[in-house]
Amino acid sequence: MKTMQTKKTLRSLWAIMYYLGFTPMVRNPLFMAFVFSTPFTLLFILFVASNGTALPYGLAGALTMITTELGLFVGTDLASYKLQNRFQDIVVASPVSPLIYMFGVALSELIFGSPALLILFGLIAEQGATFGALVSCLGVVMLLWVTATSLGFFFSAYAPNTQNAFIINGFITTMLSVLPPVYYSVKVLPVWLAPLAEVIPTTEASALFQGAIGLGYSVEPVYGFAVLLAATFVMLLLVSFKMKWRES
Amino acid sequence: MKALEAQQLSKTYRKAKAPALDSLDLEIESGQIFTMLGRNGAGKTTFLRIASTQLLPTSGSVTVLGLDAVKEAKELRRRIAIAPQEAETIYPLTPRDHVLLSLRMRGVEKHEADRRAKLALEDLELAEVADTNSDWLSGGLKQRVIVAMVVRTDADLVFLDEPTIGLDPVNRRKVWEQLTRLKKAGKTIVLTTHYMDEAEALSDNLVIINKGKVMAAGTPQSVKAAVTNRSTRVDVMDRFSKSELAEYGHVVAIAGKLRVLTDADGARRLGDEAVARNATIAIAPVTLDDVFVDIVGEAEKDEDDAD
Repeated sequence: MKTMQTKKTLRSLWAIMYYLGFTPMVRNPLFMAFVFSTPFTLLFILFVASNGTALPYGLAGALTMITTELGLFVGTDLASYKLQNRFQDIVVASPVSPLIYMFGVALSELIFGSPALLILFGLIAEQGATFGALVSCLGVVMLLWVTATSLGFFFSAYAPNTQNAFIINGFITTMLSVLPPVYYSVKVLPVWLAPLAEVIPTTEASALFQGAIGLGYSVEPVYGFAVLLAATFVMLLLVSFKMKWRES
Repeated sequence: MKALEAQQLSKTYRKAKAPALDSLDLEIESGQIFTMLGRNGAGKTTFLRIASTQLLPTSGSVTVLGLDAVKEAKELRRRIAIAPQEAETIYPLTPRDHVLLSLRMRGVEKHEADRRAKLALEDLELAEVADTNSDWLSGGLKQRVIVAMVVRTDADLVFLDEPTIGLDPVNRRKVWEQLTRLKKAGKTIVLTTHYMDEAEALSDNLVIINKGKVMAAGTPQSVKAAVTNRSTRVDVMDRFSKSELAEYGHVVAIAGKLRVLTDADGARRLGDEAVARNATIAIAPVTLDDVFVDIVGEAEKDEDDAD
């Protein structure tokens, strides 16, 4: 009985990932281009403007930005499925649990981003990162993805319409993955500003990527992971309180 | 056996001045097609959302298939399905993808989901466009895709919120056929509609609600009989004033003509008078449409008078 239920749950998860992630990606590769466009443009600008010397910073920044985007896009998707397509209504009145639905939508977004992530990991490996460093990068990606996804969930619960969800998503992405020291080192910030930047999870994620690529750690790795873990925990807590599966 | 029972169900949205549902009592028998009629904002969708576990009531209770819709929502969700109002298809999925997504996420095995999807697409005559991007379909086809997502789910109770809105008469009947098929299979169907002919043709029982309150309930025939107590309608095109017609029955102004809801005797007397005046009239049996206008119109009038 339990096995049967597990099978059904896995089918639900697979269906959501397949039809909301894989199928749109194959049918409309423009979705992927959208994920690639900004991070890889910034990477290209840094590469060209620095004669290649700032490429490692570009890679760390692009990896941070794509991971953040993929998490926040979940908010836009959820707002769209809830407010525009009314698909969430169909899901709520079905055996699909909120956790499976949200996990499925989040993973479907990760599917869109997987080619970009693979390319970036390839480029980081090409820069001489060790296997251990790549594993460390993967861990950072996962933590940042959970944090950003939780943030996406949180905003989707409050978005009054899909347009607002899209605008908020764009704004938060810029605020978290362009403005803070993501494409550059936290060390270049004025002394009074650095502590402020260091509590932002994307700063820590990028600093950890920079360290793994061989640029040296601008923050203590333990501190970086601690900030990321704390951010993940806080965001998950916030989402568990604020996500509305059944409206009141 | 009752498929759904609501007791003193109320819902007041935050910042709303009036309740969307106001101490609503309702019973729906198993294996029936039950229709909710009402104006926009009457509370139909709110009721459906509460009964389908999407919205919490402010007070009162709803039991669906013997399960409390608030406390036993998880168990209930295994046995219900809904086609929401104004749902849109998902880009770039095809109609087949939509039906498969709906079935597979409910845990149906691939082989079985493929079989049922084929049937659902045939049921609603979507087979020809089964693999076309839904964005390229007409509004009517998209609406049928949403209905196709629920008709083969095997849910014991299916909620459909205005499932035929925007459909032409031929396609409306295709949806009707599916609802009738579901009923024959022992399922309970709860639908909302603005189409009185639809309610009259499909419903075993119906309810007319206005401002969150039940105004009339029963079979289409019993509602017509009990509410109007008038069997005949006479449309008067000219040569009578509204006050002159009042003595024959209840008068409603509709699209440039005066409609009198009356009994057989009143219709006969009015007919005689119309002949004497050489007036143009049309006589027909009272429809659910007349009952609806009568009930809702009276309720609005009472409120205006009270104000």
